[in-house]
Amino acid sequence: MPLDSRTYEAADIAAVQELYHANGWTDGLPIVPPTAEAVQACLDWAMMPADQLIGVEPVRGLAVTAEKLAINAVMAGCLPMHFPVVATAWTAMMQPEFLMHGATASTGGCAVLVVLNGPIRLELGASGGFNALGNSDRATAVIGRALRLCLINLMDVRPGAIDRSTLGHPGKFSFCLAEDEEDTTWLSLAETRGIPKEASAVTVMAAGAPRQIMNEWTTKPEEILETFAAEMRANLRHYSIHPGNYALIIPKQLREHLQAAGWSKADIASFIHKRARIHRREWAEVGKGAVVRDRGDSVYPAMESPDQLLVVAAGGPAGGFGAVIPPWLGHKSHAVTVPIGACIDCEPPKQ
Amino acid sequence: MTFRVLDPTPEKAPPIGQLAPRLGSLRGKTVGFISNGKEGTKGFFAHLDRLLREQHGVADVVMRTKSNYSAPADPHIVAEIRSWHAVVSGIGD
Repeated sequence: MPLDSRTYEAADIAAVQELYHANGWTDGLPIVPPTAEAVQACLDWAMMPADQLIGVEPVRGLAVTAEKLAINAVMAGCLPMHFPVVATAWTAMMQPEFLMHGATASTGGCAVLVVLNGPIRLELGASGGFNALGNSDRATAVIGRALRLCLINLMDVRPGAIDRSTLGHPGKFSFCLAEDEEDTTWLSLAETRGIPKEASAVTVMAAGAPRQIMNEWTTKPEEILETFAAEMRANLRHYSIHPGNYALIIPKQLREHLQAAGWSKADIASFIHKRARIHRREWAEVGKGAVVRDRGDSVYPAMESPDQLLVVAAGGPAGGFGAVIPPWLGHKSHAVTVPIGACIDCEPPKQ
Repeated sequence: MTFRVLDPTPEKAPPIGQLAPRLGSLRGKTVGFISNGKEGTKGFFAHLDRLLREQHGVADVVMRTKSNYSAPADPHIVAEIRSWHAVVSGIGD
């Protein structure tokens, strides 16, 4: 089926940039020209007709087609092989429990954290190693950026339009990482959320900026995790008391101590669930005494249950660091995991 | 080299919405408030309620609060809008 989008002519690459910037169609960075050939290549790779409905945004009823998604993916720098991940992540974001409209319009200014799992990470060269939360590799950079451009152009999530963020954070340019599944004994994030190991999957979460921790002075799991829990308590005190999905990013150095002691992701989640909680009266210690009222003894856990913790093995090999990625509004927006479409003609996974 | 490039926006999307016809006067009318429930809405809407009644002759002000301040108004609130002459939807940030 031919592409249906309006076509513009631009005299040269500089004119393309000015056309897209002038129309408010970028994130402020240069874009890759979305030619019909490049967009069609994405659709062909994903075996999607141009008019395939990827989803309908639940609040405003906006229908999104594969063609429009692919145009924005090309603009972000995606190659055809990246496009199925973009389409899957968008599908995940459109699930009602993600609350996309609220998450992208809120003054809270969260970004969409995307975690990649499964074989597709290796096919794309998506790295969960050095600089995992930054500019680690091409695939995660362009996939994360594609989702932001889709929000801008398909949902009008522009600053001052639908996007009412007071501050936002740098993850709103791109916030995608791959789990380092090869260098851990743990189940992958997707596996802990019910996806078979052989399948690839995308998890999305409405997420604040990463809060980095450091503890390289112990090998005891309880002490290592107490540092993570303390950072979560700080978030409960300083930002939001609402529980929900928190993500813990645990790089190799700290991960190996936990694994050597036999701690699984479930063990970590159980410990964190017990330790990451505060009394409401603690708000008085950080200038928020006005809202403590008569509920000072009430206890607020960071998660409603241990399974709300998303533990991700990622990061460079050295350094006693880790990161806590807090939710935007945890009790209203929930992380969503969606498997990437399986190929029915492919060989079964090797045993 | 001339580039032929594609529009990245939903060209056929319906407009977000349009304003209802303006009322000639608020006198004797019923005005509904839809609050998102945040703290800042309380003083604002209380003051606006007083202004509308005392200075504009509004007959009745109906206050409703969304159950989720980050989601659309609840269906029962949207249904109730039909019985109002005007509505003010406000956030409390």
